[in-house]
Amino acid sequence: MSEIKSESISSLVDNYSPSSDDGVSTHLIDNLLKDDDSFSAWQNYHLIGDVLRDEVPQSLQLDLSEKIVTAIAQEATILSPNLSSTKTHDIIVENEILVTENNIDDEQIEYSASDSRVVSLKTRIKAKLTSSLKPLGQVAIAASAALLMIGGVQNNIVDNSLVVPNQIIQTVPLSGYANPVSFNVQAPQFVPNYQRQQSLQQEKKDKALEHRLAQQRRLQALLKDHSHQVKLGNDIK
Amino acid sequence: MKFLLLILSLFCFGVLGAETDSAKSFLERLSKSLRELNFTTSFVVVKNNQVAPYHWLHGLGADNQELEIFTRLNGSRRDILRRGDIVSYIEPEKEAYSVISKNIQGPIPAIFRGNISQLEANYRFISVGRSRVLGRVAQLVRIVAKDKYRFSYWLWLDQQTGLLLKMAVVTRKGQVLEQVQFTHIEVNEKLLESLDKFQTADLPAIVKVNPLQKYQALGWQVSWLPEGFAVVKSNTHNLSGYNQDADKAVEFVMLSDGLIDVSVYVNTSRESFMAPEYASDGATIVFNHILQGVEVGIVGKIPLVTARKIAESIVALPVNNAAQPIDIFEGDTK
Repeated sequence: MSEIKSESISSLVDNYSPSSDDGVSTHLIDNLLKDDDSFSAWQNYHLIGDVLRDEVPQSLQLDLSEKIVTAIAQEATILSPNLSSTKTHDIIVENEILVTENNIDDEQIEYSASDSRVVSLKTRIKAKLTSSLKPLGQVAIAASAALLMIGGVQNNIVDNSLVVPNQIIQTVPLSGYANPVSFNVQAPQFVPNYQRQQSLQQEKKDKALEHRLAQQRRLQALLKDHSHQVKLGNDIK
Repeated sequence: MKFLLLILSLFCFGVLGAETDSAKSFLERLSKSLRELNFTTSFVVVKNNQVAPYHWLHGLGADNQELEIFTRLNGSRRDILRRGDIVSYIEPEKEAYSVISKNIQGPIPAIFRGNISQLEANYRFISVGRSRVLGRVAQLVRIVAKDKYRFSYWLWLDQQTGLLLKMAVVTRKGQVLEQVQFTHIEVNEKLLESLDKFQTADLPAIVKVNPLQKYQALGWQVSWLPEGFAVVKSNTHNLSGYNQDADKAVEFVMLSDGLIDVSVYVNTSRESFMAPEYASDGATIVFNHILQGVEVGIVGKIPLVTARKIAESIVALPVNNAAQPIDIFEGDTK
């Protein structure tokens, strides 16, 4: 391609008409549309400009579809049904040679052929089942954990309402009522002995909580009475 | 040279003396302003991350009768109204009642409008310096306890009017337990309209005080008290607001040192021992323990160590000597 031509193409890329003459530029554009070389030059100049300006997208969308199709055609297929079928095919071919020796072999062949097919089906069904059950299992665990949490939280809410914290009181050594909420998978697998221990512990905790509540009520009553007595004053006549 | 040093040291001592004098004069000016000015203020009480805003109005009505209103602005309506010698408390839990008293027991200690010299025996007055509070020039005056069994009060007083701009209840180590911060101060020439109307309003019925409620001989006494505390009231009454238990009657003694009031509650208990439990509401501590079958509760703006010592010092009076005289605190704040 001539230098003059490439120069004019590049100036077109930059949005400058190569000459003041309109006729020349339209002539040039016509050539661009017809001429493959000019077209590729136009493409290249644009690409160069984009790269220089850093406007190239991260992944270049190149047209690779053709290449991929040919690659697939050449590759050996490794899908399991096909595998078993090819294998059985091989077995059948092999055993056909032996068929003359033993009639039972035929059955065996047939059986083994169908067997391998059945086996493959079994594995496929197994895979499907496990894949569908897995989320179920996860949901079950989550549900049990949620149940425990709700039970525990409800317990807590009930306790708080009993205490009626006059919002100004703030207790200092209140160790708190610990609720055993476990988010582990161990939750659904209760051992009976553990359950009995739990109920005993629960009783103890209930008693301790009752004691705490009684104490809090007493402290609040004392505070209320104190402010009342102070108001009644000591210099009343 | 030595002569100059001597003069300088004398001068320093003189200045120190002037400082305490000036602190007292600031406090006296506060007292005067609280009694004589017509003012409208708003303030906020901060304790334990809880905030309670108040309005405080004061004025002099006809015949120089003092009119005062405290209103709590958050939550249920809680007012304290004073007209002259009658103080009315309007509270949500109980019926409104009035008492005959010159002092309002509210968020601001009543002693500040009284005679501050009453505190001199137990507290030191220290004037610290100037700062800017509420956009005004304020003087910091500290009422510091002389022993470790009390809290100190820090007051920021307005240079211009002498009124309180900020107050903090502080431990010995400097930890702030409670704060009162004023957010608005206005001194008016004339009496406010609302106070004017208040002059003629009806006040709730006055509580009839049984003389036995003021001083009743009890079978026990507090054998240890911090310096300057004295018994001002002792009686037996029912602890209001307790659970439905039948034995809510308690024997009660109130102690005071002029600035702080401490209540002591004693009653028998079914249990023979319980470790001390306490809670705090800002600077006020509520302390409770059971010792030898006797339940003792202490409430007041005192540190834990004081409450514990008082509780442990309760002794039974010998039966035949039940009428042993107990000091009656004579301090009528004017």
